[in-house]
Amino acid sequence: MDVIYPLAVPKGRRLCCEVCEAPAERVCSACTVTYYCSLLHQRADWVSIHEKICQLLIPLRTTMPFFNSEEERQHGLHQLQQRQKHLIEFCYTVAQKYLFEGKHEDAVPAALHSLRFRRNVHGLSSVELVPAYLLLAEASLGMGRIVQAEEYLSQAQWTVLKSTDCSNATYSLLHRNLGLLYIAKKNNEEARYHLANDIYFSSCAFGTEDTRTSGGYFHLANIFYGLRKLDLADTLYTKVADIWYNYVNDHYQTLLQIRAQKPDLLGKRLVNDTGLDEAQDAEAIRILTSVLNIRESAFTKSPKKIILVLKTLAMLCYLMMKSSKAKEYAIRALTLAQENNNVVEQKIIQEFLNVISAEEDRPAN
Amino acid sequence: MTTFPPLPMARTRLTILARQKLSCSKGTIPRSQLIKEKDDIDHYLEKNFKGLSKEEVAAFRNSYKKSICVDMLRDGYHKSFTELFGLMEKWESLKKAANLKSIFWLQKPLEERPDTLDHFYYYLTRAETAEREGYLEDVYNNLYALACYFSDPADKWVRNHFYERCFQMAQLIKVDGGKKEAESEAHMGLLYEEEGELQKAAEHYEAFHHLTQGRRWTDQDGRALNLLACERLLRIYRQLADKMVENEDYKQAIKILRKASEVAKEGNDRTMEGEASYYLGMAHLSAGDYDTALADLNTYSQISTEQDDDLSLGRAYEAIAKVLQCKGETTEAIKYLEKVVKIARNNFQSLDVVRASTMLGDIYNEKGKYSKASKFFQQAFDTTVDLRNMSLMDETKVHYGIAKAHQMMLAMNNCIGSDNVRGLDCLLSWKESRSHLELDPEQELDPEKELDPKQGESRRSTTSMPQSSTEHTEEVASFPDNQNKTET
Repeated sequence: MDVIYPLAVPKGRRLCCEVCEAPAERVCSACTVTYYCSLLHQRADWVSIHEKICQLLIPLRTTMPFFNSEEERQHGLHQLQQRQKHLIEFCYTVAQKYLFEGKHEDAVPAALHSLRFRRNVHGLSSVELVPAYLLLAEASLGMGRIVQAEEYLSQAQWTVLKSTDCSNATYSLLHRNLGLLYIAKKNNEEARYHLANDIYFSSCAFGTEDTRTSGGYFHLANIFYGLRKLDLADTLYTKVADIWYNYVNDHYQTLLQIRAQKPDLLGKRLVNDTGLDEAQDAEAIRILTSVLNIRESAFTKSPKKIILVLKTLAMLCYLMMKSSKAKEYAIRALTLAQENNNVVEQKIIQEFLNVISAEEDRPAN
Repeated sequence: MTTFPPLPMARTRLTILARQKLSCSKGTIPRSQLIKEKDDIDHYLEKNFKGLSKEEVAAFRNSYKKSICVDMLRDGYHKSFTELFGLMEKWESLKKAANLKSIFWLQKPLEERPDTLDHFYYYLTRAETAEREGYLEDVYNNLYALACYFSDPADKWVRNHFYERCFQMAQLIKVDGGKKEAESEAHMGLLYEEEGELQKAAEHYEAFHHLTQGRRWTDQDGRALNLLACERLLRIYRQLADKMVENEDYKQAIKILRKASEVAKEGNDRTMEGEASYYLGMAHLSAGDYDTALADLNTYSQISTEQDDDLSLGRAYEAIAKVLQCKGETTEAIKYLEKVVKIARNNFQSLDVVRASTMLGDIYNEKGKYSKASKFFQQAFDTTVDLRNMSLMDETKVHYGIAKAHQMMLAMNNCIGSDNVRGLDCLLSWKESRSHLELDPEQELDPEKELDPKQGESRRSTTSMPQSSTEHTEEVASFPDNQNKTET
């Protein structure tokens, strides 16, 4: 039975729902430390994130066990903090992934968790809270709740203003979200201003040709596309595609090189790796698919650029171990190259297809 | 390059605000335009609105560099942004490298120069618009203007960066038949020449020359590009040849200089031809090939007489004299040198006078005619005194002293060699006053004869007639005269 009675709880103790902070009526039977107000919320939370962190929450929400010595107590405290930090990162990544996949509803509980843990670890007005606020804002935007998004964003902005040592990356993220907000509010001027700031800060932090900067370029391109300034949008899309192509190509080439060398004693092969975490993977896929769609629906088709995007997508999927999708994209690229009699590209794509087939044929290690 | 007039730029809002903060510009925009978020601003509110719009805040808070970057990006000029960002990063790395070597790095960073940033914004955005529309010539023009703007020697790396961009752009411009390409080749050549990489510079100049052959293009000042190409090519060949002569690689040097003279002939400019033959002659001289050197230098002197160019004629004669001196034909050399002195005097070229007189003196010195040598050295010394050039003065003083010493050498030898008291007295008085030593006029006339050992006795016999010498002493010091007079 996982129903609890609020009146039966000890005096002074209030049990609140994870999701909405209303008085709690149910408890999760797996961990017994998480409370919900209704079945709806429990289900939502379980699907979103509780399934993944259920057991991890137990040590955080119960009292610390009794330790014999000061050392052990310190160790226990340290362990607790480590667990909390791990949870923060994990929730954040999961929430981001959901956002990039477009599942905004699911992202909210995860983001809330992240926020709560950050608040516990760092305090109420620390800069560390800003990314969590931004996530929530983005999720709200995705769900169409603009007012709520604005609220979260103002909170984030205020925190940034008050803090003295905010990193460029955080500024960049803040401005990106502000830009997205203004896009949703259809205020293109402000959106452009904020996205320009975003690109500037992320260039300061990571460099102008980094994959993280590409997000800013992408959104700016979307604005121009919406404003029907197609040539401007086109140059920006090209830039985004180039950045991603270079990145993925580098990884792919190093992988091939390492493979070409003698395998080590155990004959183990290097696992495919994109060098990005899941969220960035999802972001990459989203950006590239949008660019591809736009390019394909463009008035004047430029096959070279489409081939580039297809190649990038193929390599990315391959590195992410989704060989079937990789093959699909590669075959599309090949047909296009053949249509345009582009011999060089055909060769490259053919080689790539061979590598994928070789990978598939070999029994999995 | 000429200084730039202030640009009539359409500055964006942010930059206007930021410049107000910097207090180096004028012009404001009405606040109602800035405060976009408030709708329905009426006249009263506009006048009395207290507060700052978001952009004003941004202008105050951000650095000017950030305002410019944000403006660039906002309008979609991401390539300009990337380039500017790259340049600033390069500045940082240069600064770091310089910091490792020395403490002082006086150059102001690009961020702190608002005018420079304005220029960047203006030209880079225009270049990008042109690139988007495919007007490569416009792109080239804008990049070139930006390169010209950085004429400060400390900003050389920026200018070189833009010259390289112009070069890349010019390769793509085929519409105007390669004129821009030729110009950019010239710039790249100049770049490398300044850095000292003569080989690469020579390659670029050759390409420039090749492209301008047969075309009647002129650059902005109206000079024919072909002529310019020949000139530059000659210059670079000469520098290369100089370096090779230093390394004693004469054959290569001569080969290059021959190429240079061919180029000069093509250029249809007699002065250039003349100069080319001059340098060829000098190279042959260093190589030791005197006859060819003479031939070349004769061509040079002919061309100079045709052109009525006295200075180059003087140079030619001087060089010829040097060659002759090396060969050993000193009388011919002397004739030429005297011509040089005359020409130089006529044209008030004091340095040439000095040089020529020194050379003359040198020749006479070697021949043994010490008095003539000292006369010419005195001439040189006087000219340097007029010029007030300390190092030259010192040099000519030394030569003059040596010649005088040689003059005195004979008399000194006699005095030392003679075994009478008079000689000793002479020496002593000279040591005290360091003025001119007595000389027998007869002995002075023919020093070569005196050195002949057979004539040694005749010398001894002539020393026994000192009385006549006293009357003929040239010098100021009367003490030895008095002494001699009292003795005799």
